[in-house]
Amino acid sequence: MTPVTVVWRYLQGRFVTSVLTVVSVALGVSLVIASVLLTRGIKEAFIAGATDYNLIVGAKGSPTQLVLNVIFRMDAPTPNIPLSTYENLRSDPRVEVAVPVAMGDAYQGFRYVATTEAYFAPFSWRRHVPALLTGRLFRNEAPERPDYEAVLGADAARRTGLKPEDRFYEGEEMAAYPLRVVGVLRPAGTADDRAIFISLGSYWEMNEISRKAMIKPLTAVLVRPKRLSDLPALHRGWNVGPDLQAALPSAILLNVFNLLGLVEDVLAVVLAVVAVVVGLYLFVTMYNATLERRREIATMRALGARRATVLGIVLLESCAIAALGGLAGILGGHGVAALGGSLLAARGGPVTQGLAFSALQPVTFGAVVALGALAGLLPAVLAYRTEVAENLAPL
Amino acid sequence: MRATATALALLLALAGLSIGPPARGEEIPRLTFAQLADSMRANLGVTQGIKAYNGREIEIQGFIIPAGPPDLSFFLLSRVSGTGNYCCELPSGQDETVYVYTARGVSLRYDPVRVYRVRGVFEAGHQVDRSYGVSFFRVRDARVEEAVGARIFKVGETKSP
Repeated sequence: MTPVTVVWRYLQGRFVTSVLTVVSVALGVSLVIASVLLTRGIKEAFIAGATDYNLIVGAKGSPTQLVLNVIFRMDAPTPNIPLSTYENLRSDPRVEVAVPVAMGDAYQGFRYVATTEAYFAPFSWRRHVPALLTGRLFRNEAPERPDYEAVLGADAARRTGLKPEDRFYEGEEMAAYPLRVVGVLRPAGTADDRAIFISLGSYWEMNEISRKAMIKPLTAVLVRPKRLSDLPALHRGWNVGPDLQAALPSAILLNVFNLLGLVEDVLAVVLAVVAVVVGLYLFVTMYNATLERRREIATMRALGARRATVLGIVLLESCAIAALGGLAGILGGHGVAALGGSLLAARGGPVTQGLAFSALQPVTFGAVVALGALAGLLPAVLAYRTEVAENLAPL
Repeated sequence: MRATATALALLLALAGLSIGPPARGEEIPRLTFAQLADSMRANLGVTQGIKAYNGREIEIQGFIIPAGPPDLSFFLLSRVSGTGNYCCELPSGQDETVYVYTARGVSLRYDPVRVYRVRGVFEAGHQVDRSYGVSFFRVRDARVEEAVGARIFKVGETKSP
């Protein structure tokens, strides 16, 4: 009988205990995997969904709220700013492109984003250019004669079931301004997937305040300077006034990542405690098993098994339990991460990739097997030192 | 025990390599924003003196202005903080801005009011990048770390902290 056969028989002999130990290890590992994948996925989704525009000008207030709302369609929109802000930026010789954006209402939770065709322009410096899957973009019509045309992001189209030529509105007061779908965008993996794009003219006519007060409000202006070295001057210039602010989207996201880093630190401590608990549970299981098997071990020794063989069997059993738990935990962790990612996406959060494979999986598996070896070391030494004469004495 | 000590020494040596001095004991020259500003010429050129550093590894200290993706694979290094000291100085321009392309795997904690030490391969001269536009000074394959206690001087003082 080989040591592997012996280990297999041992596992079968203590089936319930072995399964419970494997499940415990798997739960701990899945917690580690899911936590790491989700935090990493959120961060990567923020990076992937970040805008190529270097500056966002909006109303005075929280720059984080401004960036999260305008770029990631999260949080509430910041207060309105006048159209003249956009006109001033567009005529600034340091500015290459200025894109006005107005945020407001929503249809079935998918926010309206009013903008111009420039939002979809394929500039050479853009990493993600929104591209049409079907239909066309809305027309840049005269503000006083809006067409009420809408272009839907991929998720917005899929979840609302709207398709080109469909008309829609939400709320009785909007029945007089039904929007018509003219196009659907390709999935981009960004917040644009969850947006409904309309023209500024349509937005201003649908907005009761702007209609009655004859004003043309915006939420923000996305800015790309001709030379990036002008960015600090533009940023400073728009921040010194009392009504407007300019935010560097990447700087805001990096600050968010710094906060996320604190959460990761706390999580690392929690996961370390989980690893210790799992290791201790494995140790207790193996220790009790070795105590129960002292007579069997003595018999094996009496039949010619070497001390090293006995030591190897106990270590192998501990590592096998850890490896099985590790494998199950890695699979389970991916499942939990995928589920969490889809729940997060459904709530309008950043989309995460729960099934991404990296060094995490082999490193975790190796660490779990090493933890198994460590937990089995003392019981293995106990088995190694089992005296034949003492343990084969008549009961 | 001896093997553990050797492994530890090897790990420490590898860690030191990440931001340590170059091989063969060569000292990395440190450039200042004052030198960069002085090297600019009216015809969009730069002096031969600053061009002499082209292709060489240099060190420069300044504030990070995140102008690229939020993974800091690219950022501007400036003499003046982009978001910090509203009360002190006007923002710097092209002559006091270095376009930094970080090496793969560089990880750092961004703070708008801290000074960072950047080491990498220097390039001086007018260049147009598809993604980041016109630049005069660039550092490629850059490694970045916080320059604890460092201060940035407009002119004069250039000693390392």
